[in-house]
Amino acid sequence: MTAIIVRILRQIRNDFRSLALLIIAPIFILTLLYFLLGDSGYIPKIDAYGLPDAYVNTLSESLTVTSIDQLPAEPYTYITEHKIDGVITADTSGITLYLIENNSKTALVQKALSQMVKGGVESNIMYQYETSSDNQLDSLAYVFLGVLAFFFVFIFSGVSFVGERSQQTLDRMLLSPLSKTSIILGYLIGYGILSGVQSTIMILFAKYVLHLSFSGSVLTCILIMVLLSFCAVACGTLLSIFAQNQFQMIQFIPIIIVPQIFFSGLIPIDTIPYGIGRLCYIFPVYYGCHALKDVMVYGYSIMDISFYIIGLVIFTTVLFAANIVALKQEGAS
Amino acid sequence: MEIVIEGITKKFKEQSVLEQISFVMEEGSIHCLLGASGAGKTTLLRIITGALKADSGSVRIDNIPMPNRPILNKIGFMPQQDGLYNELSVYDNLRFFAGIQNLHGKEFDKKALELLEIVDLLKDKNKRVSHCSGGMKKRISLAAALIHSPQLLILDEPTVGIDPVLRRQIWNYLKDLKKQGKTLVVTTHVMDEVQNCDYAALLQNGHILVKDSVENLVQMANGGNIEELFFTNNSEEGKN
Repeated sequence: MTAIIVRILRQIRNDFRSLALLIIAPIFILTLLYFLLGDSGYIPKIDAYGLPDAYVNTLSESLTVTSIDQLPAEPYTYITEHKIDGVITADTSGITLYLIENNSKTALVQKALSQMVKGGVESNIMYQYETSSDNQLDSLAYVFLGVLAFFFVFIFSGVSFVGERSQQTLDRMLLSPLSKTSIILGYLIGYGILSGVQSTIMILFAKYVLHLSFSGSVLTCILIMVLLSFCAVACGTLLSIFAQNQFQMIQFIPIIIVPQIFFSGLIPIDTIPYGIGRLCYIFPVYYGCHALKDVMVYGYSIMDISFYIIGLVIFTTVLFAANIVALKQEGAS
Repeated sequence: MEIVIEGITKKFKEQSVLEQISFVMEEGSIHCLLGASGAGKTTLLRIITGALKADSGSVRIDNIPMPNRPILNKIGFMPQQDGLYNELSVYDNLRFFAGIQNLHGKEFDKKALELLEIVDLLKDKNKRVSHCSGGMKKRISLAAALIHSPQLLILDEPTVGIDPVLRRQIWNYLKDLKKQGKTLVVTTHVMDEVQNCDYAALLQNGHILVKDSVENLVQMANGGNIEELFFTNNSEEGKN
C-alpha cells in the first residue's frame, strides 16, 4: 500500500498538467469568481430624505448620497425612474431603507447602513422583491469551495484509474501479493494526500488572499474539504469501472457533478418543489457544502456539524467498500 | 512451475472465447500460445494468472488451484499494453513494481541494475517512460515482470514493436531463464517466434487446433515452416 501512495505522489510530481488541474485550476476559478461576484468598486447611489447631516456624512464615505426635500410617494417607482439604488428616510419611528432587491449592489448600501446605525438607532430595510440570495461570493463561497474540490478530485482520480485499467498497470497490481483492499486504500490515501494539499491551499487562498469571510474555524473547513475529497476519490475510482477510456470519464460530469451543484446550497433545498429537495441526502456534495456553510457563515463548531461529517464518512466508507467489491469482480484472485 | 489447465471455458456475454481448453505446461520450458488477434490467447493468460474467472474448468500451478494470492509473487506478468507509468522514470517504475512484490532497498537496486543491463537500458534509467520509444517500453515492461525473480513468467506478446536485433537478444535472455529452471508462457502471432519455444499451442476462435512440441510440429509440417501447418489445420477446421 505504501508503494502505491509513494508512486502516486511521484507521478504527480512529474506531471505538471495534472498538478495544475488539481491545485491551480480551482484557485484560478475561485479568483475568477471573486472578480465576477466580489467587490467591483461600484459606488451605489441613494437619495436621502429627512436624514440628519451626521448620518448623511457617514453614508457619503461609501455611497453617493443626494438629499431630497420630499418623501417619494412610491419609493420603488422613484428608485427605478431616477436610476438609483435606494432611498433612505428618517422619522420619529427610525430609519427606513427602500431597495428594489437584495443583490451585490444593494448589499453595499446595507453595509453602509449598518456602519451608520452602530449607535443603536432602529432601522428597517424594505425590498420591492424579496429574495433570500445575497448574490455575493462571500455568501456562496461554501458552494464553490465544495463543488470545485469535489469536481477536480473526482475527475483526476477517475481518469487516473481508467488509465490503470487501460494501460494494464492494474493487472500488474492484481497479479502481485497486494490485496484489493490495499490497492483501493493506497489509491484513496495517495489521492487523499493530494486533495488534502489542494483543500488547504484553497481554504487559505480564500481566507488570506481573497479575504472571504470565515466565521468559524479554518481548520474545520479544511477537514470538511479533505473528507469531501476522499469521497470524490472513492466516487471517481468506482465510476471509472464504467468508462472504457479517459474521455468517457468526462461524460460522467453531467450525471454525477451537475446534479450535485443544484443540491450544494446554490438553490435553497426547502424551496425545491415536489419533494425533490429530499434527494439531497444521496449527494455527498450536499453534506460537504452545507457543513462548510455552517462553519463559514454561522461559525458553527465541528460538533454542531456532526450530522454532515458523519454523512461524508458514511459515503466514503460505502464507496470504498463498493470499490473493493468491484475490483473483486474484475479479478478472480 | 508446472501449469495444468483442465476444461477451461469462457464466454463474454454470449460469445464463446475459450472452449474446453486442456493442456499441461511443463516446468523449465518455454510454451507458446500462437494465434491471430481475438483467438483467446490473452484471455487464457488472464485465466491462468487468476486475473479473470473462467466459466468452468480449472487451472493448477504446482498443484495449487488458482486463483491463489500467495503464489502470485512467484509469477511475473508482462501485459500486452506495456503496463507502465508514463510520468515516472524507468527506475521509478521498476521501484514501484518491486515494491508491490516486497522487494526494497539494496536488494532492489542490485536486481534493477542487473535487469537494466540485460535489456540495454542502463543509461536510460532516469529517463521518463513517456519519453521512451515503443521498443524501450517493451524492454522496461519485461524488466518489471522479472524484477522479483519469478519462477513462472507470463508474457503477452513481448516482442511486438521491437527491432530484430533486440528481439533476438530478448529471446536469448528468455532461453537463459528457461535454463535456470523457470517456466515461460509466451503469446505471439508471429510464427517465426515459435521456433524459440519448446511447446506450442495454436489457438483459433477459442479452440486449440494443434498442440505439441515445436520439434514435432516442424516434423508435422514436413520440414516446412510451422506457418504452413497452421494454415493446413486452419483450412481443415473450416471444412469441418
